[in-house]
Amino acid sequence: MKFCSSCVLPDTFPGIEFDANGVCNYCKNSLLPDHEKKNEYLKKFEELAASVRGKNAFDVIMAYSGGKDSTYTMYSLSKDYGLNVLAFSFDNGFISEKALENISHMTDLCGATSMIVRPPFGKMKEIFKVAATQDLYNTKTLDRASSICTTCIGFVKSLVLKTALQMNIPLAAYGWSPGQAPITSSIMQTSPRLQRFSNSTVRDPILRNSPVKLSSYFLTEEEMNVPVERWPINVHPLAFMDYSEEAVLRKIQSLGWVKPSDTDPNSSNCTLNALANYLHRERFHFHPYAWEIAGIVRAGGLRREEGIEKTTEEEVMSMVKYAADRLNIKLP
Amino acid sequence: MADVKQEIVKFIEENFVMGRKNITLDPEKSLIESGIMDSTGVLELVMFLEERFNIKIEDEELVPENLDTINNLVAFLQKKGVAA
Repeated sequence: MKFCSSCVLPDTFPGIEFDANGVCNYCKNSLLPDHEKKNEYLKKFEELAASVRGKNAFDVIMAYSGGKDSTYTMYSLSKDYGLNVLAFSFDNGFISEKALENISHMTDLCGATSMIVRPPFGKMKEIFKVAATQDLYNTKTLDRASSICTTCIGFVKSLVLKTALQMNIPLAAYGWSPGQAPITSSIMQTSPRLQRFSNSTVRDPILRNSPVKLSSYFLTEEEMNVPVERWPINVHPLAFMDYSEEAVLRKIQSLGWVKPSDTDPNSSNCTLNALANYLHRERFHFHPYAWEIAGIVRAGGLRREEGIEKTTEEEVMSMVKYAADRLNIKLP
Repeated sequence: MADVKQEIVKFIEENFVMGRKNITLDPEKSLIESGIMDSTGVLELVMFLEERFNIKIEDEELVPENLDTINNLVAFLQKKGVAA
């Protein structure tokens, strides 16, 4: 397999082309934010934080998986910006015990209120089985993440928004790494119309294909009609902070966060991830984290060699089988 | 609006289609339904339009009738006063 000489994307990645120096077209087209751009967004965020602080029961709802990036983001929101955080964690039935311990420990440390939502496992099992075995999403969506991860994140985003609307929380924060989402969307007003676009690419395929009723986890028509002034502003601060995976890990480990040993190298909270990666690679012949890690490498947050290792290392088959058995699916 | 259309096509090709040989950009076809753009892509597109053409896209303008095909995008920019 050949890799871009600058990032980690392999020659199996959709639409990839290399120039004479082995640099891929994705690298050539990516616009990395410079220091000035990051400062511009940082300043905007500081003003935003000051404008919401203390005005509602919670200043911000944080999509908190217990993983490294969301832990670091939550810590920064509470300690650096003095925001009162509602830490929203979605238990999909595969959250590592250690991640649950991290959630309790870190929310206590940050003075954040923890809210864990766990749908009945039978329901999650059914939709994950569908996501593992059927075509749910468009090809562009699957360039960025596996079908199983896209499904889970669909629930998270929707429940975060639902909770923010119900509790009048002005900010909704995510720990997206610089490779997951561009700086240009790092501070963005959510709105019903934007949500309808999102619904059409993730929610609708889930609801259309699920053998069990899942609509209660998504926005109702009444919620979709809440005036836009009450919709939260989405923020993903890692896009405008100085991000380095090593520094993030060092910081949160110094605070008592412990990396689970039962998750694959690309996840620090979910025991389903190994199966999700395995199925994606079997089907598409590239790693579902390749897009994200390529972005982190371009942004200087991870060394290319480490990125290649993370996206080529074979899954631990005992982890893959554990998840497949719980979902009752046969491996290809 | 030919130049504007070319710029939009270039943005979509460079950011969403990339080198995929099996995708033909049809100016009348839905970018979402044809799998070219996802919900993150919509955000990227909105940001591109606002920055490149120096316009503000209001919430009520974030509808498929304005953003989901190349021809709709061109017509929308025309309505927003973007010159050819």
